[in-house]
Amino acid sequence: MDYQRFLLDQTRRHFLKRNTKGIGTLALASLLNQNSLGSEGARNALPIHIPAKCKRVIWLYMAGGPSHLESFDYKPKLAEMNGKPMPKSITEGQQIAQLQSQANQLKCFGPQHNFSRHGTSGQMISDVFPKIAEIADDICVVKSLNTEQINHDPAHTFMNTGSIIPGRPSMGSWLTYGLGSETENLPGFVVLTSAGGGQGQPIAARQWNNGFLPGRFQGVEFQSSGDPVHYISRPKGLSDAGQEDVIRASQRMNALGDEALDDPEIATKINQYEMAFRMQTSVPELVDFSDEPKHILDMYGTEGADGSFAANCLMARRMAERGVRFIQCYHRGWDHHGGLKKGMEQTAKFVDQGSAALVKDLKQRGMLEDTMVIWAGEFGRTPMAQGSGRDHHIKGFSGWLAGGGIKPGISYGETDDFGYHAVKDIVHVHDLHATILHQLGIDHKKLTYRFQGRDFRLTDVHGKLVKGII
Amino acid sequence: MKHLSIKPSILPVICRFIPALFAISLAHAVPEKVTFNEDIRPILSDKCFACHGFDKNAREAELRLDTAEGAASVIKPGDPDKSELFQHITAHDPDEIMPPPETIKKLTDADRNLIRKWIEQGAEYESHWAYLKPVRHSSDKNAIDHFITKELKEQDLRASPPAKKWRLVRRLYQDLIGLPPTAQEMEEGLKMEHAQLVDHLLASPHYGEKMAIPWLDLVRYADSVGYHGDQLVTVSPYRDYVINSFNANKSFEEFTREQIAGDLLPNPTEEQLIASGYNRLNMTSEEGGAQAKEYLAKYAGDRVRTTSSVWLGSTLGCAECHDHKFDPYLTKDFYTMAAFFADLEEKGVYSARARPPQIVLYTDEEKARIAELDKAIPESKARIPKDAPKEHPERAVLKELEDEKKKVQGAALSMVISKAVKPRTVRVLARGNWMDDSGEIVLPAIPEFLGKINLPEGKERLTRLDLANWITSPENPLTARTFANRLWKQFYGSGISGNLDDLGNQGDWPMHPELLDWLALEFVESGWDIKQLVRTMVNSETYKQSSHPRSELREVDPYNQFFARQARFRLDAELVRDSALSISDLLVRDVGGRSVRPYQPEKYYQHLNFPRRNYQASKGNDQYRRGVYTHWQRTFLHPMMKSFDAPSREECAADRPSSNTPLQALVLLNDPTFLEAARVFSERILAEGGEDFQSRLTWAFQETVSRKPNENESSEMKILYEKQRARFEKDPAAAAEYLKNGDSPVSAKDPIESATWMSLSRVLFNLHEMIARY
Repeated sequence: MDYQRFLLDQTRRHFLKRNTKGIGTLALASLLNQNSLGSEGARNALPIHIPAKCKRVIWLYMAGGPSHLESFDYKPKLAEMNGKPMPKSITEGQQIAQLQSQANQLKCFGPQHNFSRHGTSGQMISDVFPKIAEIADDICVVKSLNTEQINHDPAHTFMNTGSIIPGRPSMGSWLTYGLGSETENLPGFVVLTSAGGGQGQPIAARQWNNGFLPGRFQGVEFQSSGDPVHYISRPKGLSDAGQEDVIRASQRMNALGDEALDDPEIATKINQYEMAFRMQTSVPELVDFSDEPKHILDMYGTEGADGSFAANCLMARRMAERGVRFIQCYHRGWDHHGGLKKGMEQTAKFVDQGSAALVKDLKQRGMLEDTMVIWAGEFGRTPMAQGSGRDHHIKGFSGWLAGGGIKPGISYGETDDFGYHAVKDIVHVHDLHATILHQLGIDHKKLTYRFQGRDFRLTDVHGKLVKGII
Repeated sequence: MKHLSIKPSILPVICRFIPALFAISLAHAVPEKVTFNEDIRPILSDKCFACHGFDKNAREAELRLDTAEGAASVIKPGDPDKSELFQHITAHDPDEIMPPPETIKKLTDADRNLIRKWIEQGAEYESHWAYLKPVRHSSDKNAIDHFITKELKEQDLRASPPAKKWRLVRRLYQDLIGLPPTAQEMEEGLKMEHAQLVDHLLASPHYGEKMAIPWLDLVRYADSVGYHGDQLVTVSPYRDYVINSFNANKSFEEFTREQIAGDLLPNPTEEQLIASGYNRLNMTSEEGGAQAKEYLAKYAGDRVRTTSSVWLGSTLGCAECHDHKFDPYLTKDFYTMAAFFADLEEKGVYSARARPPQIVLYTDEEKARIAELDKAIPESKARIPKDAPKEHPERAVLKELEDEKKKVQGAALSMVISKAVKPRTVRVLARGNWMDDSGEIVLPAIPEFLGKINLPEGKERLTRLDLANWITSPENPLTARTFANRLWKQFYGSGISGNLDDLGNQGDWPMHPELLDWLALEFVESGWDIKQLVRTMVNSETYKQSSHPRSELREVDPYNQFFARQARFRLDAELVRDSALSISDLLVRDVGGRSVRPYQPEKYYQHLNFPRRNYQASKGNDQYRRGVYTHWQRTFLHPMMKSFDAPSREECAADRPSSNTPLQALVLLNDPTFLEAARVFSERILAEGGEDFQSRLTWAFQETVSRKPNENESSEMKILYEKQRARFEKDPAAAAEYLKNGDSPVSAKDPIESATWMSLSRVLFNLHEMIARY
């Protein structure tokens, strides 16, 4: 039977009956488009609030909390104070994590690595990031980040969802909910992970959860070994063609069953089998790097999709090319409570080349204009020593952004002489979220979803646009 | 006459796409008689209360519209144009217009028309429905049909005809025990009266398993602690307590009391202590560097959110930092509620793998063995002379006995429970800031506007037991409504009030408030008899209706708010699994026990640490248990469960969304659980389904979807049969490999035929009809 035609009809009928509870204006369009067939071509005609500068985001997520004092925030005064007591005026009444027991004898800990100026912009970057130093003129370093949570788990949750209460949607879910997907062959929100160089603090799947948003907006984690996506591989003993028989028969049998049942969910389901079928081809093709020339592999420093951070950066570019809206590359390994000098070198080695290569590669392909790259973790580290390392720190830390309409080659915000408090142009997590959404054409106050009787936002009741970086 | 409640905010969008619906909405936009609770309250709550409502700190111009007196100060009944309220909402001057442009909140013309008419008709103010005591509007024995029919008449609609008997049998099986009927059960069910089948299923031990699922979501039951390393915690006896309580039809009153205050009952039984595990189901942390005080504040907040949602259908959690914006909850209420739980022995940050207080629960075998050892050990000791040398043979015997006792004790299950100690001081935290010690010290109390529990004589403070008793007392209007509304959803697809977690001002106005009141009163007056309430719901004619969407309903009532037909919905994640296992006959139908681990993709737990986790799928019978027994890892919920919308249970969840995604398709197509079920089912087809293709297909259809295939379906499946058979004939090794999916032994006599039918079975397992309830 002509089930393409049937599908179109069903999709239309489905919308009529869809339960629209809780759906905000912007997103309703995307829900509609998500369910329509690709042939209708309405996916790119979404109503957006403001002109979009950016279409997609790649977040290089430095999990564990990299030290801003050995990366992007140069503090000569702290070097002078090395070993001396930390002034009480700075730390009084402030929350501390593992240094709780030493709260009365906090000592300054000078930067453990040298900094140099780079590019025509002259950005100060630590010597442990020689490759990122090469893109100094492409990145905007924010030195005044602020968060509210001092332990890894809630700090991740806050950075990703804007709330400390578990169960809220993460940013990638908000974006795909608001903007829809540009690909019918891949999920709109993908997570890649790697580890190495330091203590492997755990991360939870709630960091890419859809929360109260519909399930199709959840982040899909790509695995580096086994199936790249859970259950993507056909069963052993069955050929591709044999599997296709089963999928096609499932679609047709569902359509036949629907003649009696008349249930719009069935039409949706048939569509989902179509995407599942396409994913079985598109995912293996995506993770096969054999079409990448050697100079590109060398630039990233990878030989293939081996689950390393470098490979994940290249994978992120390939996903961005294929229309994935939000890609997060987690690297676990920045929790340097001790042995920080060496630890920073080691972890930086894992991420430096891949991070820089991604920005360069996007730039040479003309994609940096509408792709935003973010490099940041859940918090920074204390100017005070914790033995040979640094403790968690939330009142001022650094990260950088590139592309997607962000001003290149600048620094924004400042911390005090110790690198403790952000004192100028403070960028709170909510502000960062508001700004990212803005670049994507979304007014963060208008992207809402009704849950438990309230219109929720990624930025809760906070967030202001950081105009200085756009 | 009532009218359709389509949220004004989405109206413009719908209109752009669907002119037909637009016309209908407009026709219904302003009813003959405007009522406050149904028409006006939702507008005021959504658009005005944030600045003119409960939160005194956010109140503008000292005006409140959440009270009759407040509203009266800006309204002249009968004369909208002379009413200040109406002047403001129709003003053009940006300084005058309400809501102010910068709030983004906007009134629609429909809103303004409603308010105008309401004022014209006298501006009668009503208290919020859910905070008033339920009133009985019918003395019928089963008044469901009375209320539904009355409303349908007003709407000029008619009810749907009853569903076919076989459909009803299948529906009852799915709704009451969460399993599809086998062909034989179907045959028996067809011979039974509806009510008789209902009683039969209510007596099944699987009823409790089905009923437990939404309850476990509410109380956020899980097998891991949730924060940071998400370490394991043992609470599975609590899960079994819930299942057993539903099966034993424990009154909801007792069920409530045991969970909130089981440990405070006189001489609590082991079961009551297990029930008190409820208070310890919150997420906990052992993260290095976490501050105990901060985490105690987190746990307290979690308990307030959960308890108020589970029993009161209220979002009291919103009052942690400020007075509630939409409901009369004050910040103080949040902390007085938290104070009820301040007596619990707990730590903000636990040491590794320890979650005291716990109790050790011995099985009968373990108990017997320990009793034997307790007898044998002193006997052995007695056999050792006072100055016997080290090498005296009896010493070795004694050591062996003592070691065994330790081993038995160590292997026994130990679970977290509640234990009361000297209550911690609870303060109101300014803006929820746990570092701020300047707030007022509070004692346990219920939210002020709901009344007051009098302090029993000679007691200094109220306890969790007082709270539990109040929750199910006649003074509390919320509990019975909340429970009845959620139960209704289980059997009718959506709540009478659509919002299952909020009966407050921002909740949905119930389309049948009188029905909800009647159910709530029936529930209370029956002695909180849950099975009786279930019986009432599923024995009604309304329940028995066909779920088939009629074209006229599609236009007038697209969300089935009038219940002029039954609902149709996809089964919960656990039941999707159960259905496949049950049909293949792999399902092990034991009730209760430790949590089990279905097959899971390798390295799924690779991001967990402290300690690192190596997932070992359960072997043997434990591999084939019902979904409700699945190990619930909060941060990495089993991917099959997650795909089918089971919540992580990090937070209380009153409702599950029902999504339809490609990831679900991949699960049903390729998850080894479903492959194995299809394979084992194919063996059954060959063994029990007759000899020829058609009789086998018919048999398979009846076992999976309780009906026969039609001609088109048969020929479609025949085509697949020929194709698959040809493939496997060409490559018999592949057929053998295909059959190796899953742990259970392969017994195929004819691997090519088995493999072919395995593919056909997979198609049946991928039918929406198999995993949906119609």
